[in-house]
Amino acid sequence: MKKITIDPITRLEGHGKIEIFLNDAGEVENSYFQVPELRGFEKFCEGRLAEDMPQITQRICGVCPEAHHMASTKTLDALFHVEPPSPAKKLRELFYSAFYVTDHTTHFYILAGPDFIMGPEAPVAERNILGVIAKVGLELGGAVINARMQNHRIIHMLGGRAVHPVFGLPGGVSKGLNEEERREVEQIAKDSVEFAKLSLKVFDDIVLKNKEYVDMIVSDAYTHRTYYMGLVDEKNRVNFYDGKVRVVDPDGKEFAKYAPREYLDHVAEHVEPWSYMKFPYLKKIGWKGFVDGKDSGVFRATPLSRLNAADGMTTPLAQEAYERFYSTLGGKPVHHTLATHWARLVELLYAAERLLELSQDPEITSPNIRTIPTATPDEGVGIVEAPRGTLTHHYITDERGVIKKANLIVATVNNAAAVNMSVKKAAMALIKPGKEITEGLLNRIEMAWRPYDLCLACATHSLPGQAPMEVVIYNSKGEVVERLGRHLLP
Amino acid sequence: MGKTKTLILGLGNSLLSDDGVGLTIAAELKNRLNESDITVMETSVAGLSLLDLLVGYDRAIIIDAIQTLDGKPGQIYRLDPEAFDTTRRTISPHDVNFTTALEFGKKVGLPLPQEIVIFAIEVSDVSTFSEECTPQVTRAIPTCVEMVLQELKRW
Repeated sequence: MKKITIDPITRLEGHGKIEIFLNDAGEVENSYFQVPELRGFEKFCEGRLAEDMPQITQRICGVCPEAHHMASTKTLDALFHVEPPSPAKKLRELFYSAFYVTDHTTHFYILAGPDFIMGPEAPVAERNILGVIAKVGLELGGAVINARMQNHRIIHMLGGRAVHPVFGLPGGVSKGLNEEERREVEQIAKDSVEFAKLSLKVFDDIVLKNKEYVDMIVSDAYTHRTYYMGLVDEKNRVNFYDGKVRVVDPDGKEFAKYAPREYLDHVAEHVEPWSYMKFPYLKKIGWKGFVDGKDSGVFRATPLSRLNAADGMTTPLAQEAYERFYSTLGGKPVHHTLATHWARLVELLYAAERLLELSQDPEITSPNIRTIPTATPDEGVGIVEAPRGTLTHHYITDERGVIKKANLIVATVNNAAAVNMSVKKAAMALIKPGKEITEGLLNRIEMAWRPYDLCLACATHSLPGQAPMEVVIYNSKGEVVERLGRHLLP
Repeated sequence: MGKTKTLILGLGNSLLSDDGVGLTIAAELKNRLNESDITVMETSVAGLSLLDLLVGYDRAIIIDAIQTLDGKPGQIYRLDPEAFDTTRRTISPHDVNFTTALEFGKKVGLPLPQEIVIFAIEVSDVSTFSEECTPQVTRAIPTCVEMVLQELKRW
């Protein structure tokens, strides 16, 4: 194995990197998924007031501020030992459902869509959203924009501003809905349900009716038998906002179910010398390396994981879509990473239906939206499902509510080990001695990490306006053979 | 004919040292400008979400941090959106690049600004949690504020 060094010129802060190392024979020896180190978060939080955390933590990220805001708000409930009134919980979930519609829509149409609609080996210049709308029509492009804008409108309505909401408070929320606003939300929700149904139909027409794609989804190159994690309600159905964390084993059997405050009994973090990122694993199984199977503590926390970890959905259309998902893919659990794209659309439908249900809930316009905390704060853990996986916040304060310690396990980190394994397996299946490494082949390797909807925007935001991801392939001499995804000015 | 509406948009992450420079400059411009047809906004979003903010304006100035290969921290570039058309790969973990987002928005008929100018400040540290920029980048802030004000005069 060659020693790994990071080329100082390409070590641009703020991007993720996948490095693939080939042996003398030209076969894949290993691969590494790396992210930049962010320094000093704990120190940055220390000494701040806990109630500022929903505002501070959501600024970590330009992609899912709402997820951090919600996890942080729930952590404050636990920290201040306060139970929000029922209308406040419903408003939070309504807000969060609207956010899910925007985020899942972006991922499917911007990232997953091009690979399938244009084809994994389509020229790069066409394999993007512009190619997609050129092929499927401007009308769908308009629907994508509309679904996002309308649901951002709900976030704005409740959060007080378009980005970085000022909404969640310990014990409740800062603003409710009046009847006029409720009607507007209801209409947006109805449109969103239609949009989600359309999206599932697009997936059906373009992916499921194409044998080549179905074969690719179920192929061994994109399959890992792991544990799966997701929040569930009291009847073990998918819930994004609240509940217990349920973990199922690779056979789909319940392995653990725990309240947020117990997370440290179940999840530990493995450290590798080559990565700043920690690799969470199931404590009771232990870290056995980057391997799958029942004996390995590696788990996944993704849309696919949430469906696998639950017994079903609470809304009728999403439940139908859920059943179809498993009957088509041969029963539970599904281990095919690429099926995550489909799972995401099942969740899109659930988010839209749940939004509609909540908008029609008689309590949703209630002014009873806050319980004022009176207990002394000490320690709190809050967990939500971010669109890309389970998100945990944990704060310890003094008796005045001043932060002494803050720990976050962000969604992408949960999947760090699995991403590494997925990339390696796809690379091993695709890169063969003597076989030319084409653009299309590299894209098929990228397709192994894309389902995880990695959020490296936590890292940085500098131009060109996205958090880049780079794939570098080295030969046995450590020379760069191929590089993908430079985002630098020429 | 109505007044020409201009948007000044500072982008960045206010918690990660130099990454917040665009926001600091926008905040300073907010203090300096008091004209009804100019809106100054600060945001941390990227990709498609930028479209939501740009809709309805005739002209826009975007201010953001940038990292280039041989850049010197504090250096300021005045760029067109086309400058970022170097790649259209769907490689970003979650979103499209700015050029693609703009083109997409125009294709589906969104009323987007006719003219967009980007001021990008070369940064050095975007990975330490801090609300302060590094000294070289801090020194570039007043210069960039003046450059934006000059740009507005030209319009």
